Parts: sequence; C-alpha cells; structure tokens
Amino acid sequence: MNGTLGRIPVVARLAFRASLTGLRGVALVVLALAPTGIVAAIALADPGDAATTATAEGLFLSLTLRVIDVLVLLVVFASAFRSEIELDTLTYLTTRSIDRAGVAVGKYAGALAAALAILAPAALLPLGVAALGGGTAPPIADPVAIAAITVLAAAAYGAIYLLLGLLSPSALVLGLLFGFLWEELVLLLPGSFPRVTVLYYLLSVGARLTASGPLHAFPTVVSLPAAVAGLVGVAVAFVAAAAIVVRSVETAPQRITA
Amino acid sequence: MTAVLEAVDATKSYGEVLGLNGFTATVGPGTTGLIGPNGAGKSTLFRLLVGQLHLDRGRLELLGHPAGAQGEFRRRVGYCPEHFALYDWMTGLEFVTGLLRVDGFGRAEARGRAGAAIETVGLADAAHRRIRVYSRGMRQRVKLAQAIAHDPELLLLDEPLNGVDPVGRAHLIDLFERLARDGRHLLVSSHVLYEVERLTESIVMISNGRALAQGDFHRIRDLLDARPHTIDLATPDPRGLARVLSGWDHVVAVEFPADGRLTVRSRAPETFYRDLPGVVVAEGIRVTAMRSVDDNLDAVFRYLTEGRG
Repeated sequence: MNGTLGRIPVVARLAFRASLTGLRGVALVVLALAPTGIVAAIALADPGDAATTATAEGLFLSLTLRVIDVLVLLVVFASAFRSEIELDTLTYLTTRSIDRAGVAVGKYAGALAAALAILAPAALLPLGVAALGGGTAPPIADPVAIAAITVLAAAAYGAIYLLLGLLSPSALVLGLLFGFLWEELVLLLPGSFPRVTVLYYLLSVGARLTASGPLHAFPTVVSLPAAVAGLVGVAVAFVAAAAIVVRSVETAPQRITA
Repeated sequence: MTAVLEAVDATKSYGEVLGLNGFTATVGPGTTGLIGPNGAGKSTLFRLLVGQLHLDRGRLELLGHPAGAQGEFRRRVGYCPEHFALYDWMTGLEFVTGLLRVDGFGRAEARGRAGAAIETVGLADAAHRRIRVYSRGMRQRVKLAQAIAHDPELLLLDEPLNGVDPVGRAHLIDLFERLARDGRHLLVSSHVLYEVERLTESIVMISNGRALAQGDFHRIRDLLDARPHTIDLATPDPRGLARVLSGWDHVVAVEFPADGRLTVRSRAPETFYRDLPGVVVAEGIRVTAMRSVDDNLDAVFRYLTEGRG
C-alpha cells in the first residue's frame, strides 16, 4: 500500500488528464496559441523586420501574461475542484482512503502540469517564430525570463484559483475580478500598493533577469530572490490553505436534493 | 458487534430546507434497506455518512467511527452514489483502476482488482470503452464496481438499481445477496419498495428527514394492527359476498373495484381469514382468488407516511 505521498502523483495524473480533455482543453490550447499566430502574421506581413522580436516580447507582457495566462490558469485551476464539486464526481476521490489534503496537492500538481503544457509553448513560440521571421535573435536571458515568469505565474495564480474553486461556486467570476481588476488596477496605484499584486513580482522577475528590452523596462524595487520567494510563498500558502480547507469543507454540489 | 450505523437526532439543513430532521436509527449487521420517497433524505444521509456534508446537530456513526471520518477508515467502506456523473473521458477499467490507485493499491494489484470488479458487475465487455458512451445501466454498474473493488466490509448503495434493465436488476440483486452472504454489510436505499423487499426484511423507513419506522419488516407490519387490512377477492358474485361480509363487526368497508372483484377492509384480518371459508361453504359463494393488498412494503410505507404525515 502506498501512503498519501505515493498517491498524490495518481491524483495529479487524473487532474492533468481531466484538465486537457474535451472541448475545454482544445479551446484553451487555441486561445494560448493566439500570440504565436499574431507574431506569425506580423512576420509574414513584414519579413526580415528586426523589431519583430521586441514585438513578440511586448505581446508576451500585454497579451500572454495579462490576459491569456489569467484565463487559462483560472479555467484550469478553478475547475480542478469546482467542476468536480458541481458534477458531484469529487466524491469518488474524497471517499477513498487518501487524506483529503493529498487530493488538494495532487490536483494542484496535475493542474500545474496541464497549465504549463498549454502556456509554456504559448509563451516561447512567439519568440521562435519572430526569430525565424527575421527578427533579431533575443539574448538567451529573454526566453529564460519568459519561461520563469510563466512557471511562477502558473504556480502563484494557480494556487489562488485552486483555493477559489474549492471555496466558491462563483470562482470564475471572482477569478476574473481578481485577475483583471485587482491585479491591473492596484498595479497602477502609487507607492507600495503594487506590491500586493502577484503581477508586480512577476514583472520584477522579468526586469531582473533581462538587461534590456520590454521585459527590463518595468520599474521595481524588489530583488530577483525576493520576487521569486514572494511568488513561491504565495503558491505554498494558498496550496496549504486549500489542503486545510478541503479536509473540512462540504463538497456536495449546490443543486443537491435530499 | 458494533452497530453498522448509529444515528441520534441527526439533523442537516440546506438553508431553510431540512434534509435530515432529527433522524434517529440503529442499523445492525447484514443488509438493511433504507426506504423512502424521493426527497425523503436518503441521499442526504449517505452524503453525511461519507463526509460530503457535515451534520448541523446530533450524532452519526459508521462502524463505530464518526460519519465522514477520513483516512484509512475509508477503505472499510464502499460508496455507490445515486448520481450518474463519472469521469467520462476514462474507460470503465481506467476509472476503477485509478480510484484503487488513489486508495493506495499498486499498479498491478489495482488493475487486477478493477478487472475482477468490472467482471463481477457484468461489465467486462465494455471495460475498455470510454464511459461517455455508457448507458445509465452501465454507469450504475461501473459505480458499483468502484464501490466493491477494494473489498470493503460495508457498502453504502444509494439507489443502486436505478437505470438498470430488468435482467441487470436480477443480476445485481444476486450480487448483493452474494456480498451479504460473504459477510459484508449493505445499506441499500430505494424508493422502489419491492426491490428492497427482495433483498432484506430489515428496513429503515425515512420520510421528511425522519426515521419513520425501523426493524424487521414483519415487526413493522405489526404496527398496522390498528389499521384496516385490505383484502382483494375475486368472485362471480361480489354483491352477494359483500352482503354477507358487511354484516361482520370487523369489516369496515367493501368496494367493487371491477367486475367480479370485491375489496374488503377488515380490522381483524386473522378473524377474517379464519371465518371466510365457512361463509363460502355455507352461502355457496365461490371465491376464485384472494390477495392481501397490504402484503408488500409499498402498502406499509403508504400507511406510515399518510398516517403520520
């Protein structure tokens, strides 16, 4: 018999497959490939334009990170619990002998793998397409920074959305408000206010890892280790909260009848 | 032996709607039927027992553990929920195997147990098909397979015969009887009374979230002594027979439901059965068939719910 730790990968595999299955999975992949399509269109329209690479990086900051990542991560992580609660399939997992905290951790790991399977190509392909289309080859730090931002965004936002999905039937609405309203508006506020957003730390990672270009342009007072630690801390805190909450929360769907 | 289930004043509400309302009952070893109409609180009770919901008030224990206890205790219990939602993107075999692996079984053992369970419920031919193409009956079977695959000592089966065709029902009832013979305890809910009647005589009747009656079916039947007993008679002369029977003190009503039929309500069924042959002989009235309408759970339940509702 495997202990709870040995069973977490099983739950993770189930969550991974569930995240990428069906029309929802296809829709998320198509959405995630939009920036690549845009960069490809630009490269085809103006072959050999050296600025295409900068355009691709700008597109990552404005579209991929702030729109596509938010939507994909919200759908994948919030539905990891919420879909199962509303469909009433979570009971198949929670009535087994695995500790429920293990279910939460397994779901987080599976959703994280699924989200990165969608978002990592979405983040990096535009740079490759831009280079193939004649753009200047970016310094190695740029794709490294984009990859790091994508992984950390998935880890931190994902943990928040996982907990939201566990706690609230309105997780998608709340997630949209958080991702698009809170994150963007607070980032615009003066002083230290932006530091209570996840986006601030993600943009700080980009600024600290690169030496020039759009990623470097973000003004930050946070060091790279502090930014990474902050994001990892958010991820750990929210996954831990989900692991605690899932042990005591009611998991029957709202529509239940006696 | 510890009671399989012990409920004391178990109460659960959804806002202003009471799912369970002071449910008190003790279920012993073996097979027990939980009988009640839709909305009676059966599924709420099951959801509480597996920890999907939490009690507002009272006490609910399963095999001596608080309902909803987690961890290794759960391996002693198999649960087949009422709903038909499953992981549609998996095959039946993958579904059962996956859940066994979540239960801690190694890959090979999980696959072996899953295959055996799927064969036991009669789903071997469809084991490698995606669940999304399963009929309701097949879904019911795969739910049962995951409930029995880890060899639990207690099975909580919420309407397990719903959606299953008549041949399948017979097969599953045989399976439940076999599981009970092998020493497992079964708590089986149903709103179709004859199904449970075929499985067990030990029943708990639930209505409006309360245990209405519990125990051996025949003991519950004794509760009906004060109630007129209904007997259906087939005779070529229903009016002649009615004239005679209506003169008996304990006969409170006679009705003519159809040509050649007579329905009699008696407060003393034993006296009725004892005296009827004498009348038949003395009056020369033929009675070709006689049936006690109350001799099934449906009548008992109707009486109890109508009488107390």
